[in-house]
Amino acid sequence: MKEILSIRGLSKSYKNIKAIQNLNLEISEGQAYGILGPNGSGKTTTLSIVTGIIHQDQGSFSWFGKAPDANQRKEIGSLIETPHFYPYLNLTKNLQIICDIKGISYKDIYRVLESARLAERRKSRFSTLSLGMKQRLGIAAALLGNPSVLVLDEPTNGLDPEGIAEVREIVIQQVELGKTLILASHILSEVEKICNHVAILKKGELLANGPVKELLAEDEIIEISCDRNEELKVKLEGSELVKEIETENGLLVLTLNENITPAEINAFAFSNEMVIYHMLSRKRSLESQFLELVKEE
Amino acid sequence: MRRLLHIEQVKLLNYNPFRITLGIYFIAFTLGLLIYPAVDKEIPVISLSDLFRFPDVWMFLTWVTEPYNVLLALIIIMITTKEFNNHTFKTQLIFGLSRTELLLQKLLLIAVLAVFATLLLGLTSLTLGLIYSYKITFKIALENTWVLSRYLISSFAYMSMGLLIALLIKNTALSLLTFLAMRVFVDPVLFLVLRKYEVKWYLPFRTTTQLTPMPDLIEIFQKKVNSSETIDEAALDLLPKGLPAWLNLGLVLLYTGLALYFSYRLLQRRRFT
Repeated sequence: MKEILSIRGLSKSYKNIKAIQNLNLEISEGQAYGILGPNGSGKTTTLSIVTGIIHQDQGSFSWFGKAPDANQRKEIGSLIETPHFYPYLNLTKNLQIICDIKGISYKDIYRVLESARLAERRKSRFSTLSLGMKQRLGIAAALLGNPSVLVLDEPTNGLDPEGIAEVREIVIQQVELGKTLILASHILSEVEKICNHVAILKKGELLANGPVKELLAEDEIIEISCDRNEELKVKLEGSELVKEIETENGLLVLTLNENITPAEINAFAFSNEMVIYHMLSRKRSLESQFLELVKEE
Repeated sequence: MRRLLHIEQVKLLNYNPFRITLGIYFIAFTLGLLIYPAVDKEIPVISLSDLFRFPDVWMFLTWVTEPYNVLLALIIIMITTKEFNNHTFKTQLIFGLSRTELLLQKLLLIAVLAVFATLLLGLTSLTLGLIYSYKITFKIALENTWVLSRYLISSFAYMSMGLLIALLIKNTALSLLTFLAMRVFVDPVLFLVLRKYEVKWYLPFRTTTQLTPMPDLIEIFQKKVNSSETIDEAALDLLPKGLPAWLNLGLVLLYTGLALYFSYRLLQRRRFT
């Protein structure tokens, strides 16, 4: 797979705060790459460096296998933090400026406004837009010229639920078209819904990265209770069925091994002459898993 | 180049404060010149309209209209700091302009405004000259037009210094204040403080104002009264002589070059968040 963005040993500090420390990332063509982390974890700093608006202290990065320069950014559609445009210009004129910068024709303007559902407002001044509309215009601007790479920093920030769904739909469409997506977000479900790869940042350090399925695998958790809990616990621990067993308020909380269903647990107990009278599926939420990952140390 | 200029054009021609300030500049420039002949009648013996005759009109108007360049510098400060306030430098960067192009954009604008100002001065001087001159020959009319090129440099220098201050301070009101304070207060006060020393002529704003110095009014009025008696200028010491013209010009170019160099360095290093 062709290399799109390669980040090597990137570090950046703001006075005493280490925004990112020795960050390494490799992003290949066609990946939908999520950068996940709580607020202040260095997501925006990372994306600001690779889009040229701030300079790193140490380390380097390369786009498309080449040293960074301004022309590469014309091939990348970016939205970093909140979108900023000329407040007194209307949407069309604002996008014309970006077309001029990218050296592309104005013909694309209507299409991107349409896809962000802003075509009707094209003659309105930017300052008259609502927060959600501004955000959608930011996405529209990123889509100008049909770039092969999209860099989006918290694209659903400040949107209402409907707006969030719309923006996600636009982004998923782009991913389905085979574009490379780099998405920073603090919302786990967003990364899970859109991305196939994820890097988790905390305080500027890379905690983990890999395919979403592996990293954010949903463990199946059930709670059970039978007449002889302690005995069942011992038996289950000796089996290949569970990863982990904990006792909680007189209940056994089981983390199941992959591809094991609750029915098999029931059958196992029954074959050991124990009758389970309480069984509740309690899928461990991704959110808590993410928090756990980030909480470590 | 054309692309960058077009971007500036879209930004500015739709920006009301820019249009208004430029309008004020235009009106102040032309109205100011119309008022001079009007006050003329109130002063006996000497007539100000003598100053509007070829070839003196070029020198005189260049000197009189030099302060209007301050307005042009204020325009540059206003629109540059606005790019910081609106975070639009950032937007232009992420969509593919280089930091050097951000500077180039503003330089092109400065060049366009300087040419505009010089053309405006040239046209008004020509008009007034045609109205007030008794005899007009091609040679007399075009004598002294070289002073326009100095005016062009003077405009460019003012706006370059404005640009540097804007990039340094980023805040609109503070930048405007700093620039005005330098031009109206700091430089003149330093000039007075240093009055005994030659170095007073090396102050940045002083060299720029000296680029288009006060014409020799005494000589002009002498021509008018046809007096054979020459006034001892040295005794009067009305006209401060300053540095030789070539050195003064060299200093202005040096200061402008430095302003642009530091602007470049600032833009290369700035964080645009």
